[in-house]
Amino acid sequence: MNDYLDLLTGNLSELASGMWVTVRLVAISFGIAMGAGTLVAALRVAPSAWLQRLGGIYVEVFRNLPLLVLLFITFAGLRRAGVPVSPWVAGTASLGVYTSAYVAEVLRSGVFSVSRGQIEASLSLGFTYGATLRRIVLPQAFRTVISPLGSLIIAMIKNSAIIGVSLLALPDLLKSARVIQSRTFETNEAFFWAAVGYLLLTATVTALIRVLESRYAIRR
Amino acid sequence: MKASRWLVVAAVLASLLGVTGCGGDDEEAGSASESAQQAEKFPADTTMGKIQKKGEIAIGVKYDVPPFGFKNPQSGDIEGFDVDIGNAVAEKLGVKPKFIEAISDNRIPFLENGTADLILSTMTINAERDQEIDFSEPYYVARGRILVGPDSDIAGVKDLGGNSVCTALGSTYEETLSKQAPKAERKLVDSYSECLELIQNGAVDAVSTDDVILTGMIIQDDSLKLVGDELTTEPYGAGIKNGDKEFKEFVDGVLGDMKSDGRWQKTYDKWVGQYTKEQQKPPTMTLQEALEIGG
Repeated sequence: MNDYLDLLTGNLSELASGMWVTVRLVAISFGIAMGAGTLVAALRVAPSAWLQRLGGIYVEVFRNLPLLVLLFITFAGLRRAGVPVSPWVAGTASLGVYTSAYVAEVLRSGVFSVSRGQIEASLSLGFTYGATLRRIVLPQAFRTVISPLGSLIIAMIKNSAIIGVSLLALPDLLKSARVIQSRTFETNEAFFWAAVGYLLLTATVTALIRVLESRYAIRR
Repeated sequence: MKASRWLVVAAVLASLLGVTGCGGDDEEAGSASESAQQAEKFPADTTMGKIQKKGEIAIGVKYDVPPFGFKNPQSGDIEGFDVDIGNAVAEKLGVKPKFIEAISDNRIPFLENGTADLILSTMTINAERDQEIDFSEPYYVARGRILVGPDSDIAGVKDLGGNSVCTALGSTYEETLSKQAPKAERKLVDSYSECLELIQNGAVDAVSTDDVILTGMIIQDDSLKLVGDELTTEPYGAGIKNGDKEFKEFVDGVLGDMKSDGRWQKTYDKWVGQYTKEQQKPPTMTLQEALEIGG
């Protein structure tokens, strides 16, 4: 047990900076995922077959590509094509867009939980389609899908580790544990603390989701 | 580009991508039988005599370190600087060389259990290994160097501050760089092929590791260049079974001849010099000096 504490105290700043990188990666990606996911969900339920199809293609492309492939394309691929994307841009964009496809699907299921009657009532009262979505449907949809969105954020925190081991080589939590491991050869200790770090992050998100759920969730 | 150059490129690619050889024996059908008559006969109780009786010498080399020891993907032959040294030793004995794959982990056991008579696998001489086996005099001195892109202003380790430099996770260069270029941003990746991608796409400003590995990158992309003085010195020695004094003297003799009669220079130019555009003289470092550096 002493070995574990020694490794933690001896490498605290490195582990903490790795954790901070992971937190920022996840936070930025989450913003992208929610923004893009909401837009795509709106396309998926739009009253135009073409827009629905467009949203469908987005979801199918980004949900069906491995995250690692997206990372290679956005980073190595774009750089080779002369677009100087930084590892941060490539990493957060890939993770954000990848997760947004799932967010769109979750939100779409939330939209379908709002009864058709409400939408028709809103439209007949003179709301435009966009306003109906914004004021009537999406607020209820979000409140219905708080729990599955929470699962997506947790998955995103875990997926962020792929960014660190990929070509992007961002010094995230897992990477800092690997650097410490390669320097000290204390394999169990280094990865134990990485696991604790990820658990701290996911447990925090779980707790937040619980609070949101108890306050806002619509139970049917 | 000449066809032979493409072969080397393909070999480098294959090995950097982690395609390792599928094993099997690769025997160099050389001029061994012709020179057998001319070769000096050694007493039967010496290692040289035993090898001559067997008619072949088992030499452990790397299969995945171009341009020192790597498998030519087209012919399947093992080629490189280390292989040419091995050929010279076999030629002197008048026997056929038999190259077997020796990775860093198994090369010392190979000598101890007799699987290999000689190890030529980019092995850095150090005191720790010297406890287990004997070393020849240094036959090549690899150096820790810096590789930069075509338009880089970086001329040496002093210029690395503030720039990003790629090396492999767990390599000694992690520590070397943190000492010699503490301000540089270190990008640590799993394999050197990733460093090559990063410097080619401009995501890092430099790569640092043994010049031998960096030369492998230049073979793939000749717009890259080596700059600056060496960061570290890695003298390579041939591995010989512990305590086999006569065989060590014999191998040292072959290496000495190669260094003085121009064969070393030719081998260097063929595998290293033509790609790095640098000139290097045969190493004059002695085994004793090498052991002192290695600590």
